[in-house]
Parts: sequence; structure tokens; C-alpha cells
Amino acid sequence: MLTLYDYELSGSCYKVRLMLGFLGLPHETRHVDFHPGREHKSDAFLAINPLGQLPVLDDDGYVLRDANAILTYLASAHDPGGRWGFGGDAARNGRIAEWLGFASDLTGTIGAARLHDAFFHDIDADAARAGGKRLLRILDEHLWFQERQGAAWLAPGDHPSIADIACFPYTALAQDADLDLADCPAIRRWHDRFKRVPGFTVMPGVFPARE
Amino acid sequence: MLNDEQRRAWQPVASSTDLVARHVFAGAIWGQELALWRADDGHVNAWENRCLHRGVRLTIGVNLGSELMCQYHGWRYANRTAGCTYIPAHPADAPARTICNRVYPAVERHGLVWAALEGTVEGAALPELPMDGLVLRPVPVDVPPAEVEAALAAEFGRDRVRWLVQPVDAGRSIIRGVLAEQPAEPLPVLRRWSARLGRLRDRLEALPRPPVAPIPPELHRVDPALAGLPEPGPAGTSLRLRVARKWPVAEDVTAFRLAPLAGELPAFQPGAHIDVALPNGLTRQYSLTNGPDDTAAWVIGVKREPAGLGGSTCLHDAVREGDVLAVSPPRNNFPLRRDGLLTLFIAGGIGLTPLLAMARTLHLARLPYHFHAFARSVAHLPFVDVLDGLGDAVERHIGLDPAATTAKLEAIIGTQGEKHELYVCGPTPFLDAARAIAAAKGWPDTAVHFEYFKNERPRDASNAFEVALARSALTLDVAPGQSIVEAVAAHGIHIPTSCAQGACGTCRVGVIEGAIDHQDVHLTPSEKARGDCLMACVSRAAAGRLVLDL
Amino acid sequence: MSSTEKVELDPAIRDAWHVCAVAADIAPGATAMHCLFGQRLEVARDAAGRPVVRGDGRVLPALERYGFIWTSPGTPPEDLFPLPGYDEPDRKNVVTGSVGIRVSAPRAVENFLDMGHFPFVHTGILGEEPHTEVKEYAVAIDPVADEVVATECQFYQPRAAVGSSGGAKTEYVYRVPHPFCAILYKTSPFDAVRMDIVALFVQPVGEEEIIGHTMMSIIDDRSTATEVRHFQLTIFGQDKPILENQRPRKLPLDPRAETPIRADKSSIMYRRWLTSKGVAYGVIPAP
Ligand SMILES: N[C@@H](CCC(=O)N[C@@H](CS)C(=O)NCC(=O)O)C(=O)O
Ligand code: FES
Ligand SMILES: [Fe+2]
Repeated sequence: MLTLYDYELSGSCYKVRLMLGFLGLPHETRHVDFHPGREHKSDAFLAINPLGQLPVLDDDGYVLRDANAILTYLASAHDPGGRWGFGGDAARNGRIAEWLGFASDLTGTIGAARLHDAFFHDIDADAARAGGKRLLRILDEHLWFQERQGAAWLAPGDHPSIADIACFPYTALAQDADLDLADCPAIRRWHDRFKRVPGFTVMPGVFPARE
Repeated sequence: MLNDEQRRAWQPVASSTDLVARHVFAGAIWGQELALWRADDGHVNAWENRCLHRGVRLTIGVNLGSELMCQYHGWRYANRTAGCTYIPAHPADAPARTICNRVYPAVERHGLVWAALEGTVEGAALPELPMDGLVLRPVPVDVPPAEVEAALAAEFGRDRVRWLVQPVDAGRSIIRGVLAEQPAEPLPVLRRWSARLGRLRDRLEALPRPPVAPIPPELHRVDPALAGLPEPGPAGTSLRLRVARKWPVAEDVTAFRLAPLAGELPAFQPGAHIDVALPNGLTRQYSLTNGPDDTAAWVIGVKREPAGLGGSTCLHDAVREGDVLAVSPPRNNFPLRRDGLLTLFIAGGIGLTPLLAMARTLHLARLPYHFHAFARSVAHLPFVDVLDGLGDAVERHIGLDPAATTAKLEAIIGTQGEKHELYVCGPTPFLDAARAIAAAKGWPDTAVHFEYFKNERPRDASNAFEVALARSALTLDVAPGQSIVEAVAAHGIHIPTSCAQGACGTCRVGVIEGAIDHQDVHLTPSEKARGDCLMACVSRAAAGRLVLDL
Repeated sequence: MSSTEKVELDPAIRDAWHVCAVAADIAPGATAMHCLFGQRLEVARDAAGRPVVRGDGRVLPALERYGFIWTSPGTPPEDLFPLPGYDEPDRKNVVTGSVGIRVSAPRAVENFLDMGHFPFVHTGILGEEPHTEVKEYAVAIDPVADEVVATECQFYQPRAAVGSSGGAKTEYVYRVPHPFCAILYKTSPFDAVRMDIVALFVQPVGEEEIIGHTMMSIIDDRSTATEVRHFQLTIFGQDKPILENQRPRKLPLDPRAETPIRADKSSIMYRRWLTSKGVAYGVIPAP
């Protein structure tokens, strides 16, 4: 049985929920009261993840923290077709890993500025915002050239990968960090494509596409 | 405040390739935000980025192919006109035709989409550009447009690339470049320019400069008629439309395709009809058959009625392709709900026309419906090609005698399922039969929607009575033989009418007090029983006096 | 959040109580920094546990009610608006969280009064297509309490409350007892007579920047506080992107600024009520 330690408004937890949705995996959810309760810093939760961070996945006693790690694990353990993870050629695998790293940077910038603006975390939000803006420009340029070559996703290949999943939440939630995507048209189109992948689920702050 | 030049100049706001199918693109000119979207028919829409209901940006809305849906309350706006076609909170009402979002002129040339804040398509000239140039990746820069222009000229000159700087706001720009020739291998060239422009952007943004205040958005006030609760606007055959095509669509039925002389047709909703002023002085009502994806010209179906007053004969015989007709804006007294779990359409003969528009709407929205078309013979069934496009949802019932028709109607209508809606249109006996069956099977009349083409009930205008007009503080007499519409018109009060026989619903007036003698075929029995409105072209006081909300 | 400029307050807003902190966040002896009308506030408790608010170089009036600390830059009335039902012993009173949102206070209040968006914004929870119709309801100004009241509101909801087990027609009563606070009463899945209470108390950090505080007082002995919060924050999180994309961010009081329909009766009444009180903060006054 899969159990996800989850917080609905967390973009990092959303990555895992997206993956579970795409793979159609039944699972249980443990709601952790991240805000306002700070339950992720409680002794009970620190016993599960000493870093005091969400998400955490428990697969029949195999407990894993960190969204990238969980996505990688689910792709190798629960995606028989090997479409989402490192099942392709070396060039694709390398790119997936590269963009997974980029996704962590998004969490540290846009995700952090969002925690400051919406949930009052005490960080240097303007520095985080500036960092986030730089990342969005890099991502937009990459996606523009992908489109130009007939490629729809972050890594090469016809199928989206866990890199798309990892980079989607905090770019889709950029406005929560006061970052406007009007200057990132290729990112906005990539969002629309991603929302039309079968099994896509929304979170508060993200609207679905139709058809 | 923007000056005239800023308002009227064409600005590049997107690359053509930016406007992909079923997407809404975010653009801006001098601080005025635009929602840009390409409809499935290829048309590029440039609208103010603000739903005029409660101000939500349309760039977070959904491009449905022929309509744009706002994300907040699901209002739908039509391709081209931006007229509101559907308000989900009031599924039984037709939105006022005048609810229209602000549309900016837009054209697509040389791989770019151009828009202006004011003026017409024919207005200001577009800059000269290489015909088949290579459009570079646009690069947004948080620097005032004039500074960006100067930097581009100093840095790259103008020989190889034609530079265009889109003024996004006072302090923001987008660099757009068009290369004169298509290189053999565009990709490396595009990459090189993207990198160069990125470096230029970083350098310009790093220069010290005082903060530039953004230009505030101009907020236009809506029509005063919409500030309260929306009411249908006045009619009159004010449109001039050209007969673009005239062709037979069934035995005795001719279709007319009516196109605007210039610009766009006003928005319409499924179920709407227009008044057509004929060369022989008569005015006739015809339902629009168009779906929401077909807004460039209206198509009506006209049945030849030799026994009629000469309206249909005149259209059949005297009107030719290329002729110009005077036509009213569309008026919708037969609105389509889109919140049914199943919608049944039952059409008799030419009564198919309004239901066709409705079925096409549900079809595009992938909402469930069944369409039953009754006709005397295969040759008498109009618009077969359109029906074919609706696929499996259509069932044809051909050549049934009255008894077989009734039996078939019984079988089709059945008992009402949860949230099922029934729409019927056709000749009077057919319509009467369908309504009687639905009533007998227990359908509430709120779920049975119908439209009569004419009022064939016996009418009696022999009594005299008094009407008091509550809002005008006026009391006047209606003489035998005179209608309420005529009586109040004599005192300068205009009630819009269309069919003038109590069928179409245009002349509906609120009744505050008094017993009504309903003589129309528009209202349902329960609406008549409520006694709070009447059709002023035919209905009268049952006794004494009426107080009208006029 | 970005800093906000100080503006002159209109009397209606200046002399009202405003929420400035969650009571449970202010431990005895601790001091926390908060922001109201673009001004820094220091919120603390005295030895007796009473809230103390300092700002603008002076001690401001302070009050603790409904799980929050309230203050005022002017001369507020003796007490805050009443919340009948809140003190009933068998209710679960939960402070369901506070979220920073870039919108004006009255836009947030107006959204709270609006049923038409349920199927589109709270899909599968508070509404669901094709059940989109907003039926006629009644709205009035209660002349005694001086508040906007909407009654006879009803809407089909797939999952009206955290304890709901299926779709149901839900009845609502809305109250706006304060320009920046709104309260709704809705059918409880566990009580045929009494209603659940959901309150939105808006802290105007600036004219276009708020902290939305929510509180629930429900009749439900099954759900945990975490579940209740999760439900309410999900809803609030869904409203956030709508609110942050409304233009202008301030609420326009000109009747011709936007296009209301019958479903917007309560919003029309709320805008008129703000106009009649002379509220200028967070709005674009009618011309
Ligand atoms: N590297 C982690 C970071 C996730 C993360 O930042 N989670 C947030 C919730 S959105 C959290 O738990 N933050 C608490 C903390 O970092 O102390 C991952 O990707 O899973
Ligand atoms: S704001 Fe767009 S539909 Fe209400
Ligand atoms: Fe909401």
C-alpha cells in the first residue's frame, strides 16, 4: 500500500500527487497540517523525516523523502512501460536528471517566495523572487526551442517525463510569488499541453484545461 | 494617459506561432493587457484582458475553439464579436446581446500578430516587413521601449534584421526581430540571436535608472443598460446584410446565407431569431441555424408557403444572391439551457431551424442530447448535411401519418428523467401534440421549451379596457380592435415587437395588477397562471383594468 | 510582502475593529510583528494574558474575539459584531488558517458572498457542472444591525462540508456585519436545525494586499481539526488565483464598472452599502 504524507497547498507534494494520478496508483493520504499547524516539525513527523519536510512516501514500509527521489522511485517501481522515468536512451536520461535538479532550484526560489508571501515564512523574498525570475527565463527559452523542433516536453522524446512533473508545480504557481508568466509564453503553452496529459490532476491554484 | 499615437499605432503583440490552438496568449500594449486567442476557424481575437462580469483576466480562461470561457463563473464569449453567449448561473435566460467584451483591432501579417488600442483594421498602415522573413524568438526586457530601440540600433544596426520593439508598458518592452531571408538552417541562427538578445537584455537591465511607473489600465464603463440587471435591447431592422448564397435545402425550403457588408455580425445565441424586412414591405421572423463555431454569416431556412401572406414567396422568388436585406439584430426568446443532464430536441419540418443551432452548441460542448427530426419525406427534410454532422445523436422519422407521429412522440418523450430538458418546434398541430404528451407524462412545463412560428389560435380583440402604466404614471384606454402595443405607442411609448401575433415573445411586458386574457402561444401554462406578464401585441384585460410595468 | 504606502483612512474604516493576528500565535510574553494599513504593529500579551497592540508610536485599542486579536487605528465601538451560535458548547471552533493574497479587502469579501463560481472554482466540492444555476434569493440591509444579509440562498453541492458523504442541496445565509468581514451559515450534514458557521475576517495589509483569516464553527464531532483546516484551506487556495487575477484589484463601486446579473444581488447590495458608509479604502469610489 502506498501512503503519501501530504499537504494540499504544497507544490512539492503536488509533484507526487501528479505522478500518482498519471500512473493511476491507488494510495492513502495522510494530511499533515503544514500551515498553520507546523505539524511537519512535530516530533511524530520528525521521526518519519528528520528534515521536517514534505512530501514523504511510504510504500509498504519503504519510506522515502524528497519529491525528486519519490518521482524517480515511482517511475522505476510502478511505471511498467518505463515512459516517465530513466527507461530511455542516455541523452534523454541525462536531460531528465538535469531538469530534476532545476526543479529543486525552482522550489528554493519560487517555492520559497511563495511561502513568504502566502504563509509568512521569514526569508529574503526579493532575492528568491529574482532567482525565480532568472530560472523562468531559462526555462522559457528552452521550451521555445523545444517547440521549434517539434518537441513538446522538457527532455527529448514523445512522452513527458518526471522532469515535466517536477518543474510544473512551482512554475504554475509563479503568481503566488508575484511572478507574472506573461513574459514566458512558451512556459504557458507547455502548461496547457501538460494539463491535457491523461491522468492530470489539479491543486488549489491550478486550473484545469478543457478537452 | 495615453496619447493618440500610442493608441492608434499597430504594435506587434505576438508571433503567429505563439497563438496555438485552444490557448489564450497574454499580450500588452502600453500597460493595457490583451487576451489573444485563435479560434478553430483561424480567426485571431484580441480582447481586453478583463471579463466584464467581475473583472477576472481572460488569460486564465479557456479557449473552447469557438468561444472563450471565463474561469470565474464560466461566462462564454463568442469568437469575433466577444458577445456573451451564455451565463451558467441563469441557464434559462438569454444574456443581453449588448454584453460584449472590449475588442481591439488585430491582424496577422508576416508571421506576426498586430494589434492597436483604437482604430479600425483599415486605419493606420502596418510597417513594411520582409515577406518571408524569419521571425526571431521574442525577448522581453524590463527596460523602457525607447532605450531598447536605441540600444538595438547601436548594437546591431538595421541591415540584417528588422527590429520591432513592442511597448509592453512604460518600463517594459519585447524585442521582436525579423530576418530578411530564411537561412538554410534556421535553428542555429535562432539560437545565436536568442543568446545575443539575452545578453543585451541582461546588460540593459543592469544599468542604473530611476524606477518607471507602470501606465494604469484604462477602465471603460459598461453600457448604462447593463449597470442594473440586463434586459434585452431595442430592435429595429438596423443591419444591412448581403445574400452571400441562396440554395435549396429541401423540397420547398430555400436557405439564405446572410453576410455583413463590412466588419462582424453581432453576437447571437442558439434559439435566436432575426426580423427580415422584405422588398415587398413585409417583415418576417427567421431562426438562425448557426452553431457557435459558425459566426461569419448567418444561415436561415425559408419554407415556401403559397397560402401565406407573401413573405416566403417573396424571398424565394424575388431575392437573389448579392441582394442586400435589412435585418434586425438577433433576439432570443427561445434560450437554450446548458445544464440539463440530457436534452431532447423534437423538430417537425422547418421547425428544425432553431433546434439545429441549439444541437450544434451542445455538440461542440460535448453535452448529451438526442435530436428527433420529423419530415413528410426524405426530400422534405432540410439541412441534411448539417444533421449528418451531428452523427449518432440524430434520429429521422420520415413519412409518418398523424397517428404514427403521435405514437412516435409518445415513445420518444416518455417520462422525464432527472434534469432532462425538452425542446420542441414545428407546425402548430405537431407542437400541440408534443406538449400534450409531455404534460400527460408528467413533465413539468418548466422543462418543456417550445417556439411556435405563428399563432393559429382564435383571437378576440373585441373588448375595451384601461391600462395604467406604473413607471410612466399614465392611464390610457385600449379600444376594441386595438392592441396594447398600438394603444401605448399612441402615447409615445415603444414596446418592441417582432411577430405581432403572440408567438415570438419579443413584446413581453410585466403586469403588476389585473386579470389577464392571454391570447399568445409563447408563455407556458404556469407562466400564464402566474399572471405577472403578458404579450402586449395580442393579450388583453380579462376584466376592468391592467397595471403594467411600463 | 512588498511594502505599502500609508493613506488617509476614511472614518468608517478608521473607527472599526480590524483583525491583526491569530490569538493562538501570540504566546504570553512573546511579541510578534504584524502589518495593518501599511503600518507596522507589535502584538503581544500582558502579564494577565490580555492582548496589547502597539503601533504608530502609541498603544492601540485591542480585543480578543473568535480566536483572533483585533485592533483599531481610530475610536472603535465597545465590542465587535456578535456571532450567535459561536459559544454553543457542542460546536467545534477551528481557526482554519491565514493566507496572504494580493487583492483588496472588499474584493475578497465579495468573492465570499458569491455562489455562481462554485462549479467553476471549487469543482467537485462546492459545485459541479451542469448544476450551475443560482436560484432567486433575498438580500437586504438589516437596519438595526446595519449589515448586509442574504437569505434563502441555495446551491447544489457535491461535498458541502468536510463531513459530507455525498451531493446535496445546501442552504446558505450570508451576513456582512463589517466592511471587511463576512460570515456564512450553511446546512450542517450533522444537524437538521442548526447551521455551520464559516467566517472570513480580512486583515487589510495594504489597499491591494490582505491576509485572509478564516474560522469555522461547526457541528461535527467526527472530523479532526486538521481535516477541517485542510478542507477550508483547499477552498481558500482555489479562490486565491481568481482574486489575484481580478482587475482592477480594488473594488469598483461605480455601478457601470462591471456587469452584474441577478445572481449578483448580494454583491450589488454590498457595493451600495460600502458607498453609503463612505468607505474609501480598497475601493474605487463611484464617480
Ligand atoms: N527537497 C524537498 C523540499 C520540499 C519542500 O520544500 N517541502 C516543504 C513543503 S512545500 C516543506 O516541507 N518545508 C519545510 C521545511 O523545509 O522546513 C522536496 O523536493 O521534497
Ligand atoms: S468574472 Fe468572468 S464570468 Fe464572472
Ligand atoms: Fe470561492
